[in-house]
Amino acid sequence: MIRLVRAELTKLATTRLIYGVAAVMAAFAALTVAANILDRQGAPPLSADSFPMLVGGPVTLLSGAALLVGILGMTTEFRHQTVTQTFLITPDRGRVVAAKLVAYPLAGIALALGIVAFTAAVATGWLAAKGITPSLLDARLGRVLLGAVLAAGLCALVGVGVAALVRNPVAALVGVAVWVLVVEGLLMSLLNIPSSLAKWLPSAAAAALTNPGGAQLSRLAGTLVLAGYALALALAGTRLVVRRDIT
Amino acid sequence: MAVITIQGLTKRFGQVVAVDDLSFEVDQGTVVGFLGPNGAGKTTTLRTLLGLVTPTAGSARIDGQPYRELADPIRHVGAVLEASGFHPGRSARNHLRVVATAAGLPLARADAVLAQVGLAEAARRRVGGFSLGMRQRLGLATALLGDPRVLILDEPANGLDPEGVHWLRGLLRQLADQGRTVLVSSHVLAEVAQTVDQVVIIAGGRLVTQSTLAALTARTDLLVRVRTPQAETLRSLLAAQGIHANPDGADQLLAAGTTTETVGKAAAAAGIVIYEMGAERSNLEDVFLQLTTHQGARS
Repeated sequence: MIRLVRAELTKLATTRLIYGVAAVMAAFAALTVAANILDRQGAPPLSADSFPMLVGGPVTLLSGAALLVGILGMTTEFRHQTVTQTFLITPDRGRVVAAKLVAYPLAGIALALGIVAFTAAVATGWLAAKGITPSLLDARLGRVLLGAVLAAGLCALVGVGVAALVRNPVAALVGVAVWVLVVEGLLMSLLNIPSSLAKWLPSAAAAALTNPGGAQLSRLAGTLVLAGYALALALAGTRLVVRRDIT
Repeated sequence: MAVITIQGLTKRFGQVVAVDDLSFEVDQGTVVGFLGPNGAGKTTTLRTLLGLVTPTAGSARIDGQPYRELADPIRHVGAVLEASGFHPGRSARNHLRVVATAAGLPLARADAVLAQVGLAEAARRRVGGFSLGMRQRLGLATALLGDPRVLILDEPANGLDPEGVHWLRGLLRQLADQGRTVLVSSHVLAEVAQTVDQVVIIAGGRLVTQSTLAALTARTDLLVRVRTPQAETLRSLLAAQGIHANPDGADQLLAAGTTTETVGKAAAAAGIVIYEMGAERSNLEDVFLQLTTHQGARS
């Protein structure tokens, strides 16, 4: 199993996708820091207290990026038909899906750690230029980091699960985007779902990690709910993947 | 001893019967050509043998076991399949390193097989820029990575230039000489005729024949080629004597199962002008074509 996870990570490291995603995320992170520092309308003046908020800027998009990487990690195999070779090496297809379910969350977490560190570096530098010294020991900073890591890891897990079920990269990406941007909102308004129920929906559970507080689930509950969705999708996807003919 | 055993194999895709009650065996250390026209069911058979396609009925086994139950499939069986892809953004060497990692093989094997298939120079190039022939070579390199005893190759000559086909023949011969069992499919008999010990011919998903190449060669016919301006007259004349002749071009006939003497006497008796006449032997390709089209017409 460990060698299959290593093979999945090697696959990821030997194509350009992950580097491209990291570069785009780094650029976006720098932009959010700039926007949050330059646009202070209605916000309290910059201080060492602003630091955790600055670092948390790219966290929501970061979980989206991890989702994307998870989806493409699975669908690319079908698109380029590399899945044939993958299943020749490991005829037990469930183990292949399981290896991806381990490898992609690891990649998502690494991405989150890297981008959060980068964002913190940019924010520290900028604040230092203004004579402000932020504290790295701020407890809120720890919560931002924990939220980012959990959300990215779990979203990558969801991505692999969705892709095992859908196989087509465009369909998987569009499906997820439509679900997050349209379906959940529609469900809530059309069916008049109270927020006590709505908070259990997938993207609301993810938001409990990226933007904690308010009427959302606790971080622990959000983690468990999101992991549950991911595993349910992955199980359903695995059943399909195991039975389908690879032609 | 049979290494590959296909027994009563049937595969339906919806309404289409791709493989229809197919049975054959491949013995240890032999090179067997798996032949048939496009759409005969070769690829489906091979994919079933490799556990990628689930049979509707029957079984396909390697050393008595379904592929999915082999203990160490990559060290046991090497396969080159059509539509087995490479990520275009990954280099040839990295592709092999991914396979080696997943299969628990030493990474140094990647460079060894790249050299073996003549791709050492292109090792660090992205596969996206590879020609079809280079992809076939990389596919073969992947199959050889685990140094397997059994090789299953689906149309490995596709996309190779004449020099490449020559190289492939040499490689197959070399692998066979090392005592490996090779099942190689092709829709062109000539591609494999110089290499294989036996042929399995299928058409319409069914077995047409399994025989040695020598037995197949024995099925070639003696033909008499005649060039005459009165081809049609001569044809009906021969037909009256029970000799079957086919027109071959405007002024030529090919008469089967006869001799130049018989045709010459018949033509002289009827006063038919003959420009040219000679005996020849039908080639293997004709036998192959005859066998497969006959079967195709029946099913």
